[in-house]
Amino acid sequence: MKYAIEVNKLRKEFGLKTAVKDISFQVQEKTLFSLLGVNGAGKTTTIRMLTGLSRPTSGDAFVLGHSITTDLNEVKKVSNVSTQDTAVAPNLTVRENLEFMAGIYNIDKKQIQERTNEMIQLFSLQEVENSKAKTLSGGWQRKLSIAMALITDPKVLYLDEPTLGLDVLARKDLWRIIEGLKKKVTIILTTHYMEEAEHLSDAIAVMVGGEIKALGTLEDLKKLTGKDNLEDAFVEIAEGGL
Amino acid sequence: MRSFIFSKRTLKEILRDPLSYIFCLGFPIVMLVIMTIVDQSIPEEAGMTIFHIDNLAPGIAFFGLSFIMLFTCLQVSKDRSTAFMLRLYASPLKSLDFIAGYTLPVLVLAVLQSVISFIAAIVIGAFVDYQFDLVNVILCILVLIPSALVFISFGIFFGTLLNDKAAPGICSIIITSASMLGGIWMDVDSIGGTFAKFCHALPFYQGVRGARFALTGEYGDMVKPVLITLGYGILVYLFAIFVLRRKMQQDVK
Ligand SMILES: Nc1ncnc2c1ncn2[C@@H]1O[C@H](COP(=O)(O)OP(=O)(O)OP(=O)(O)O)[C@@H](O)[C@H]1O
Ligand SMILES: [Mg+2]
Repeated sequence: MKYAIEVNKLRKEFGLKTAVKDISFQVQEKTLFSLLGVNGAGKTTTIRMLTGLSRPTSGDAFVLGHSITTDLNEVKKVSNVSTQDTAVAPNLTVRENLEFMAGIYNIDKKQIQERTNEMIQLFSLQEVENSKAKTLSGGWQRKLSIAMALITDPKVLYLDEPTLGLDVLARKDLWRIIEGLKKKVTIILTTHYMEEAEHLSDAIAVMVGGEIKALGTLEDLKKLTGKDNLEDAFVEIAEGGL
Repeated sequence: MRSFIFSKRTLKEILRDPLSYIFCLGFPIVMLVIMTIVDQSIPEEAGMTIFHIDNLAPGIAFFGLSFIMLFTCLQVSKDRSTAFMLRLYASPLKSLDFIAGYTLPVLVLAVLQSVISFIAAIVIGAFVDYQFDLVNVILCILVLIPSALVFISFGIFFGTLLNDKAAPGICSIIITSASMLGGIWMDVDSIGGTFAKFCHALPFYQGVRGARFALTGEYGDMVKPVLITLGYGILVYLFAIFVLRRKMQQDVK
């Protein structure tokens, strides 16, 4: 079995505070792995280390065989991230934002056009495609921010609370898009919506205080806690009932 | 290629801010007109030549470049605080791409601005019966590039260290002192003494001086001030990109 991501005792300290405590896990290729945890559990910090936005204090991780400590440039080429904060260029239009992102990942000119049109379709951005990003509502900016991660055709995709700030319809749409990516892309997802994780995940890890307290399929977690839904199982694990 | 794409982005961000046009183009042209009117009111006997169009045009072109510093500074400092910039750190962009992506577009803007300032100066020259030598004008624009580099470097440096609230304040201090110490508004040498020596040691005076010699065709005298400015330009640029690189590395914490 080949792993797309292998995390080995990854640790991150901020001064005296340890945000991530020697966590290890593997993600199988082309599956969706959810990282759950209460606020401050260390989810974003983990994703930041995996994407090169933060340097680990110790430990290592391999993304498609490339080490994030010694081979980060290769890691960056094959992955992309939709960060927890919406991240778009304010004075560029929606279309320009997408083309810019594709361009810096060295996608060739003809394909940039194709991929851009594809993303505009996929995220229903047609009516705003020529508006400057800063004039869009928060939810629309969010969709653009996610589309900018997808346009580069990453083999590994990180979605840090992608549905934050999206309305019910947009969230359902995004679920559909994510489902469409399954079996094609390896995805790490964080979310505070249990039904989202329940619905989309192949495997789930629950982080508490920088450590992974439980890891397995939805069924595994339910069995482990003796609960019949993820929300109850999550609460049980997060409150330290295990 | 990547740095080119990032450059295009920077250029768009700057050009889509209406303030850029007011400061980078409007202001130098307005100053040219006003100072020419002032010059017309100064009696011949006073012997004030500093506002004559042949002295004024290179001075104002230089002055315009100091606003390029302001825009570089604002762009760098604004970018540094955004989630967008952080996400780019996760992309294959390297620090050299970022550096080139800030330098190239503002350098192009600087040259463009000089060209426009001189077009305005030539038009004004027609009114006051002064004929510019086109070759010297072009030479003057080229000779101003080292000064542009000095200002761009200051822009990158302060943009890296300051947030976009503090940046305009510091930049306006430099804009004002550069124009004073550079001898745009007054004849530094007629003041003399330690003050003049101090001015001579700075790139501003040398940059303005080189540009003025270029415009009047005094090529022999032009070389030294231009080389001094270029030396300063390269030095502060290297220093600025060193600081920017370090700061970017620290941002990945
Ligand atoms: N740059 C930083 N400096 C200091 N402490 C930090 C920094 N970034 C994160 N932390 C701390 O690390 C811990 C984990 O933060 P992280 O953002 O990873 O949590 P999270 O699981 O993503 O939470 P949320 O669900 O609220 O997004 C928190 O206690 C946070 O305060
Ligand atoms: Mg988070």
